[in-house]
Amino acid sequence: MKKPSVLTVFLVLFFLLVTLLIAKSFVVKIKITHLREAPQFYAQSLAVLKNGEGVEQLEVQGSWIKVKSSQGLTGWVHISAVKPKQFALVQVADSLKTETSADEVALAGKGFNKQVEGKYKARNPNISFVMVDKMLEIEISSSEIKSFLKSGRLGEFRGKE
Amino acid sequence: MRNKKTMAVLTCCLFLTLMIISCSVMEEGAGIFDKVSKLVKSDKETVTKTTKAVRSSFGDISEEEEYYIGRAVSALILSRYSVYNDEALNQYVNKVGKAVVFHSDRPETYAGYHFLILDTEEVNALSAPSGFIFISKGLLKRCQDEDMLGCILAHEVGHVQEKHGLQAIKNSRLIDAFTLIGQKAVQKYGPEKLNKLTDIFEGALSDIAEKLIERGYDRKYEYEADRLSIKIASQTGYDPNRLMGFLETMKQESSQKDAKGWFKTHPSAADRIEGAQKEISSLTYIPEKVPVRSMRFNKAVQGLK
Repeated sequence: MKKPSVLTVFLVLFFLLVTLLIAKSFVVKIKITHLREAPQFYAQSLAVLKNGEGVEQLEVQGSWIKVKSSQGLTGWVHISAVKPKQFALVQVADSLKTETSADEVALAGKGFNKQVEGKYKARNPNISFVMVDKMLEIEISSSEIKSFLKSGRLGEFRGKE
Repeated sequence: MRNKKTMAVLTCCLFLTLMIISCSVMEEGAGIFDKVSKLVKSDKETVTKTTKAVRSSFGDISEEEEYYIGRAVSALILSRYSVYNDEALNQYVNKVGKAVVFHSDRPETYAGYHFLILDTEEVNALSAPSGFIFISKGLLKRCQDEDMLGCILAHEVGHVQEKHGLQAIKNSRLIDAFTLIGQKAVQKYGPEKLNKLTDIFEGALSDIAEKLIERGYDRKYEYEADRLSIKIASQTGYDPNRLMGFLETMKQESSQKDAKGWFKTHPSAADRIEGAQKEISSLTYIPEKVPVRSMRFNKAVQGLK
């Protein structure tokens, strides 16, 4: 059998590398989002995706992206919850790895963060965050919002009896 | 010799191709966002700009930072106003708010959108960055139906979506913050850096509070929020004419000169009605009011004191 040439080996490796690189990757940019069964906010949640977690795009439908999570689950995320993963050129050239480098991941916890809020609170003891935390506790479940839209003939239930 | 030459050429090719692919992958990411019409302008700029990993304007403020700014602005609002403690009514306002949010271009923020009623007779609604939205009891009393409330909340969601609050922060302050923060990851800030960063944080808060609470947004932002209100409300299924209905009511109110936020400064209710009319006439589909929504609205507000 003929030994493969250097060029053939190169082309095979190159093809693999290109496949790896052109997979469209995103990272979650908010605290948490849900991997949903269908492209709707009240669709069943398959998994919780945390800030910085990476997903691979499979298809796009309107403002929703069908993705594969790092656990191998397939579902939908809204485009406003993610941002394109950044690649560090130096790392790619150096080690052929597609490590994320910039922005959200590196910025996580940086800048105006919990520590800065703590300092601000210490300087301004008259400004209370108690009610802000209570406000954050107000949650409307997916089933509640679905039934609200349905009974009010809103969203996809528009014009339906 | 020949082998060495081949290897050198291949290595060069590999390196160059990698550079091209890396760039195209980043562009591709931004491209996907471009294809989707429902993306906020500042996000598009950020996606393109982050390939350089340099932060320079309000659009580069991360979701997490925006959340902490929004929390502190909300704390300032809540230090001036008491909360209207009616759990059922607050739940109802949150349901209308969420319905509207889901049909906006930015339905997901760092910790989501939350709505709260303020116990004041002032006619006002306020939106802090990242999705903390406040509506006064006085404004709620002037709402005639759910579609009108939906339009008002959609106006506030429009401010959050387009990051109008963050745009009030002086750019020089942001440059100072970004320079101080730098690119390296940190576990915890030392006392000196923390003090400086908190100084800038306080400055940013006063910039936003001055616009949001004291003077009101600039004319162009109010018009933009009205335009978005009509778009978002009609996408949700609410009658966008109810925004005009509300502005008409306010035009006739003698208390207008005492009102804050929405009606304190320019643009006048009459100018806003004109703008809203133009926007509505450009819609291809206008949803109509449904009696069932007015009924549940009346039930929700019946105990409002």
